[in-house]
Amino acid sequence: MAGPSAADVRSVFSLPSTPGPSQPKAPPATERARKPEGMSRELYSLIGQSAPTLVAQLAKPRLKQKPNLGGGGRAKWEWRSFQNQVRSDGLRLSHWVKAGTPHDAEYPFAQYNVQNTTYTYTQDEYTKFLVDKDWTREETDYLFDLVRQYDQRFYIVADRYEYPEGPQRSMEDLKDRYFSVCRKLVRNRPWSGDEGAKAQILSSYAFDKEREVMRKKYLESLESRTPNEIAEEEALFTELKRLEQNERRFKKERDELLRTLLGIESGLPDVQAEEEGITGTSQAESISAVSTKKTKKKVAAEPETPTSASASASYTTVSLAPPIPKKQSAKSAAYDALHCIHRTEVPQLTTATATKAAHQPVYLRSYKLPAPKSANAHKIAQVLGELSVSSSRLVMPTKDNCQKLEALLEAATALVETKKQVDKIDQEIRLAQERLGQGSADGDADADAEEDTMDVDEPIEEDGRAQSVASAKSGRSSRARRQSS
Amino acid sequence: MVNYGGDEVSALVLDIGTSTVRAGYAGDDTPKAVIPTCYGHMEEQGDGDVNMEGAEEGAQAPKKKTTLYVGQNGPSVWRAGMHIAHPVQNSLITDFTPIPALVSHVFKEVMRTDPSEHPVLVTEPAWNTPENRERMAEIMFEEFDVPAFYIANTGVLNAFAAGKGSALVIDVGQSTASVTPIVDGFVLRTGLSYSGLPQLIHAHSKFTLTTPQPGRTGIQLIPHQLITNKQPVDPTFPPKFVLREDRVPGVTDSWRSWYEAREVEEWIQSVAGVLDQGWNDQAAAQRGPRHYEFPTGYNTYFGPERFSVGELYFSHSPQLVASNPNLPKTIPALISSALGKCDPDIRQVLLGNIVLTGGGSMLSGFADRLSAELQRNVSHVKIHAPGNPSERRYGGWLGGSILASLGTFHQLWISKEEWKEHGKAIVGQRCK
Repeated sequence: MAGPSAADVRSVFSLPSTPGPSQPKAPPATERARKPEGMSRELYSLIGQSAPTLVAQLAKPRLKQKPNLGGGGRAKWEWRSFQNQVRSDGLRLSHWVKAGTPHDAEYPFAQYNVQNTTYTYTQDEYTKFLVDKDWTREETDYLFDLVRQYDQRFYIVADRYEYPEGPQRSMEDLKDRYFSVCRKLVRNRPWSGDEGAKAQILSSYAFDKEREVMRKKYLESLESRTPNEIAEEEALFTELKRLEQNERRFKKERDELLRTLLGIESGLPDVQAEEEGITGTSQAESISAVSTKKTKKKVAAEPETPTSASASASYTTVSLAPPIPKKQSAKSAAYDALHCIHRTEVPQLTTATATKAAHQPVYLRSYKLPAPKSANAHKIAQVLGELSVSSSRLVMPTKDNCQKLEALLEAATALVETKKQVDKIDQEIRLAQERLGQGSADGDADADAEEDTMDVDEPIEEDGRAQSVASAKSGRSSRARRQSS
Repeated sequence: MVNYGGDEVSALVLDIGTSTVRAGYAGDDTPKAVIPTCYGHMEEQGDGDVNMEGAEEGAQAPKKKTTLYVGQNGPSVWRAGMHIAHPVQNSLITDFTPIPALVSHVFKEVMRTDPSEHPVLVTEPAWNTPENRERMAEIMFEEFDVPAFYIANTGVLNAFAAGKGSALVIDVGQSTASVTPIVDGFVLRTGLSYSGLPQLIHAHSKFTLTTPQPGRTGIQLIPHQLITNKQPVDPTFPPKFVLREDRVPGVTDSWRSWYEAREVEEWIQSVAGVLDQGWNDQAAAQRGPRHYEFPTGYNTYFGPERFSVGELYFSHSPQLVASNPNLPKTIPALISSALGKCDPDIRQVLLGNIVLTGGGSMLSGFADRLSAELQRNVSHVKIHAPGNPSERRYGGWLGGSILASLGTFHQLWISKEEWKEHGKAIVGQRCK
């Protein structure tokens, strides 16, 4: 019998019902119109009072029954002894089970005790099929027993294999024997199923001892590499990757260039396709590229010999310009002369090789003018300045003019060099004479002085000669310039 | 229930190590009871407050009663004339006399349970002898009347504790460091390698502490049980303490050496460390020194010497090698010898599943150093080293706790019935 509640007391004393803190607050929804059932709160707040209540009332939705989760009651558990069916003895252990479970239910973990199929053989079968000169019947039995015990885990079998007075057996020996016996048994026993299944089973027992031994040997040699070897391998590998990447990038750029300039596909072979060849050829090419650079100054005009015939053959299709016919026809020669076209011999290899270093792009002729050595640049510029020739810029850099300017620069360089030499020797002589003059008596100083002047005179003369040569040359070059312009 | 494979049968797990005996219920994550393995014994009639009746001594003293003192209040309580003995050496039980007393104490006194009502899982090291495990089974069945018994390998259990079926378990205990290759829950016996490395570390530490070093004198390792009072002193100043002269005559040699070993062990556990990247005088000097106070009140800061102790786990100095040809193998040497004997196919598997366990591996920086050492030689190394100290310390027990609460394991128990029927042979057959 529950006592009178607070509400009862309040009603007795006709007090206003003020809900205490323990009581839930009365819903303030009383003054508002009640939300019709079956309408979502969001929808109701949107349409408010003007809800078509009738429709909502008519179609009263049926809500799903709430799921009964456990029914609110406590699960009852019992400490009950059980027997594991897998065990051969009558050991009874105890565990907690739900009260409802039947007493004679099978132990749920018994199902996990699966045994592998193992082969057994009779003495008759053994003598017929399984005799092996390395193995006795007893040892084979021992092996099969171990394999059965350890569920064909051959690592463990090999580890625990201790047949008294038997030879030392490696894991491969054991596997070989076991699988060969199984294969023979499958092959020679009457087979009820289809041939496919038999072949499948036979293949599952396949074991190639030689190959396994070889594989293990390789594996061991792989593991016994020294750190240096590993580092070298890694370095080579990264180098290979880098080369491949370069190759790919270069091909992409070249493709793009060809497409924009000539509108043709480059026809370069795919990088992936020739990957195996890269390491060999690209090195050779890069070497040849270096040598090309070195010799370029001297023999820019003459074509370079390709490093290998095959390389040039495979790349002839991809030269930048359309391949130039070796023998020019008379007509085209005349045409060229008329239009002042100079066909430079495009070095076949440099444009054709796939590496970037060897590729010679289009250039302005004036860019290739040799720059004087920086040590002499100032003096040469002075010499040219005296001749009123600008060394840095040609007004009309035709082929002839360029050649002439080159010659002029060469001459000027030679001149400046000679002058330098002369000055140096001059200075040396003076120094030597001074020393001589100090060491010897002052008496014959005059005679020395006489000789001195004679000696000094000669280089001056030479200098003058050089200057005259330079002037003659410059005169020629200026004439040539005038002609061509 | 079947979902996670567990089925609790309230089994007990007992792990007898060199330093402590761990016992608890299967399914727990830490052992309920941890007591020291060593025990005190006295030849005369003891006063017998916590004494256990031990087995009679051998033929020499047929009628002399021996009182055993085991448990937390066993060896550590001073008693006049009490000797200390170690039944477990190199992780192997060498003396079975006190084992029933120890087991009974840990089950009945500490855990307050009756072993005859619970199946018991006991652990053994991988190099345990068949006689030992049979003797253990005999004690369990005959003296404690357990309904079922199983003996499992600590290496395998450590692998299980780490959640691995195949692993290379590196177990650094109090007396032995071992490297055990485990494949599919079986020990590869050919690959097993172990050495008494921790004993060398112990001897080295004791030598370092007791001999004068630059900056300090040799440290006296006097048990706190023999000290009446002491006064605080500044670091490296001589201690001021008063000995309990009344107790000094009753101290036996074995008790004193046991205490000193314990003190050294504590010092190692709290101070010693390992440098992450090989020995380096500068690096050792850079690391901050650690303060440690001994029972006499003497206290000081230990700098590089605390790292020279841990360094012995990984490398032996040439002088040491020259002076002693039979040094125990270092951890890297143990690992490489273990791996060298394994099949090349499983080496990668093992290296990817290295489990570091044992209380000795708790030195700061041990796991980092190990991984640095291994990474220098092989790639793809993965070390599982639990950060939780109790998981590392009681890894073997924890694995046993997991194993004994698995539903599929219950078919493996050796029942009393089987024991009676087959005798000792069943142990070797069942527990592979």
